[in-house]
Parts: sequence; structure tokens; C-alpha cells
Amino acid sequence: MNCTRLQQVLDAHIDGELDRATTGEITAHLTECASCAALREQRSALRQALRAHAPYFKAPAALAPTIQRSLDRAMAESAAKLQSSATGRNAGLSWLHATALASVAALAGLIAGYWLAQPLPDYPLRDPAVASHVAALAPTRQLIQVASSDRHTVKPWFQGKIDFAPPVKDLAGDGYVLIGGRLDQVADKPAAAVVYQVRKHVINLFVWRATDKAPNSPAADPTANSNTDVTAAIATASVRGFSVTTWAAGGLRFAAVSDVDGRDLTRFAQLVSAP
Amino acid sequence: MSDASKLSRFEAVVLVHLDAAYNLARWLTRDAAGADDAVQDACLRAFRFFDNLHGPSPKAWFMTIVRNASLDWLKVQRASRAEESYDEDLHTAGAAESVEAAAARDSDAHWVRVGIAALPREYREVLVLRELEELSYKEISAIVDVPIGTVMSRLSRGRDLLQQRLLQSRERKRS
Repeated sequence: MNCTRLQQVLDAHIDGELDRATTGEITAHLTECASCAALREQRSALRQALRAHAPYFKAPAALAPTIQRSLDRAMAESAAKLQSSATGRNAGLSWLHATALASVAALAGLIAGYWLAQPLPDYPLRDPAVASHVAALAPTRQLIQVASSDRHTVKPWFQGKIDFAPPVKDLAGDGYVLIGGRLDQVADKPAAAVVYQVRKHVINLFVWRATDKAPNSPAADPTANSNTDVTAAIATASVRGFSVTTWAAGGLRFAAVSDVDGRDLTRFAQLVSAP
Repeated sequence: MSDASKLSRFEAVVLVHLDAAYNLARWLTRDAAGADDAVQDACLRAFRFFDNLHGPSPKAWFMTIVRNASLDWLKVQRASRAEESYDEDLHTAGAAESVEAAAARDSDAHWVRVGIAALPREYREVLVLRELEELSYKEISAIVDVPIGTVMSRLSRGRDLLQQRLLQSRERKRS
């Protein structure tokens, strides 16, 4: 390899785009040619400067909702064209909701029959939690009432809206990204829904007070429910295609529901419940 | 494919690259509003043709569409006003300016940003795709629709130009 040839392929070499044989020739040349080696140093410095200083323009926060609306419109138009009975149902569809909706759509017809066919699982509120999850992802519903990835924003939002403080954790480092929260119900009990996302799958973490054994106790008095302050281990089940992980601790009941793999949800539960 | 499952796949396969799309559009249009428009346009186009998506790299496919949408946006801009040269003050005004902004004007960071922005488009786009998106020559060749050899020579030339500019700025700082 001579200097002219090397200078032609130096960038491709630095980019790791050359085959092993050529790479070998280049390495050999660079060890014995000071001027080519200096050139390589310059290029490496340039790359360093680029990687360190070239701004990466991330999509502004407002862009995703705007795109969501245009896709909604496009879908509504195509739905109108199809004249299907589902016309309009898709109009409010949000792409944030979309991943789980695939399973919802596929399962919608099966739910009624399956519900009757299956005996209730051992944990009484597993099915209602799934029902709340499905309902929350419906196009007409609002999945998130407080949108934030900051737990110090989401947690205080529940104050005054619900009579307990649901744990809200920053688990982004583990791939579970907090996206917000909303008020919901699980089997007619007021519940906090803390919403996370993992690889674009929505996880609804429902938290409600364990009042099931003391339904008449004053809601504002946490001590009245001490008899329900049991700790139940994390258990994951599959209900109608969704993964449901339930546990109980500190007078609160927890149910995490998502269409992710059960193992992902179990890990999520372990992270949430970790002290 | 039902609309809901199409949208769901679209989200998982294409929209996960929204940042990359915006970054490319922003560097191509050199305009925040232009990048917004181009990416939005690209998403609609991509969604329309999503059923035709085949091939190993959905990201490269989407970036091709984003590039086309950005070039179309530029065409419209040029039609509406005479082509103007890049105005760095106008185009960097939106970027985060700190109290050290004045000092930063002479910094490497400033010259890298202005240096890339001032490159002719054919060099700028391959450089952004390579250095910021870390795409392979093969993917870049598909997105820009030129042979791999051309990607290689454009990258080299783009880096030459940028290096000259960077060296000049450092010399200036020293003098």
C-alpha cells in the first residue's frame, strides 16, 4: 500500500468499513509512515471533535403529538373509506396507546367468551386490573392525566386526589420509563395508575388501598385497615394474553398489567417493590 | 392488516426513529420549523407506504423518506424566495445560548456546528448520517441513493473541508 492509496481509504478504515486484508495493509503502512500516521491522528481528532460537539437535534416534545394527530386523521380517513363498523373508533387513537391496542383489537372478540370459560384466578382483582388496563388504552380514554418522566412531578400529582401515596420510581436506567399517571379504578375501588413504558409497551401499575376486608372503614383513616396490611409475594400470571403481576405491601395492593413478557413484568414488580 | 395493528407496528418499527428523523431533517433544512414540517410529512408518507416496507433496515427506509421530504421542503422554500446563503446567526439563534455564549463563539463547539451547517448538502448529509447516526456506508448509500464508493468519497471530502475549517478557527484563536 502506498501513501496515495492509503489516503483514499483512510476514512473508510477509521469508519471500520474495510475488509480484514486491507485493514492489515493499512495498519502495516501506518506503523512505518509518519506522515500518514499524522494524517490519521488529525482524522481521529476531527472525529472526536465531531462526536463531542456536533449538536444532535432531538425531536421537540411537541412533534410526536402533532404527528399523532396527523396519523389519527389519516386513519380516520382510511376508516371512513372502508366504511367499517369501526369507523371513528380509531379517530382518537394515539400512537402511544398503539402497541397494546394491537392485542386489544385481536382479543376484543374473545374476551366475553373467555371470561365466562375461565374460573377466576386465585388473586381476586387480577381480572379487574386487566379490564382497567384495557379500558385505559381505549381510544376514547385518556391514558395519562399527568404526563411526566419526573417522579417528583407524578407523585405529588396524586396528592389530594387519592387518599394514599403510590410509590413512583425512576426506573429508566432499567428500561422502564415513567411516562405519567392518572386516576383510575380497579373493581370500583379508586386506584392510582402509574404509567411506564418499556420498549414502547405500556405498563399500567395500579395501586389501590387494601380495603377489601374492611369495606366500611373510613377511607381517610389508614389505621382502620391494619387488618388488611398483609404482604403478598410477587406473582405473575397471564390473563387473556396480558401479563399481570400482583403483590401487596404496606396496606396497598399492586397490579402491573402490560402486553410485555411475564418475565419483564416480574422484573418491573421487583424494581417497584424494592425498598 | 387492521388499522390498529398497522399503527402499532408503525410505532414500534418506524416512529422509534423519530429523533434520528428530526436530526437529519434539521441538518438538511437547517431550520427548526422546516424540520418539523419535513418530519411530519415523512411520517405520513411512511405510514401510507408502510405496507410496502421490506428489507433489512426500517430505519434506513424511514430516513430515505425523511431525506426526500426535507429536500422537497427545501425546494418549496427556494421556489418562494431566492436561494440565500446560510445565515449562521439566524440559524443558531434557537440553540441553547448560555452566559458563556460569547466565549463559545470561538470554541470548537461553535465551529463544529457552523462548520457542518456550512458544508454543501451532499457532504453534510453523509457526514450527519455517519457521525451522528452511525449508519453504515451501505445504509447511507441506500438513503442517499448513490453507490458506496460515492458515500466514501463524499465522506472524505466532507471531512477534508471540515478539518480545514476547524484548523483555521484554531489558528485564529491562537493569533
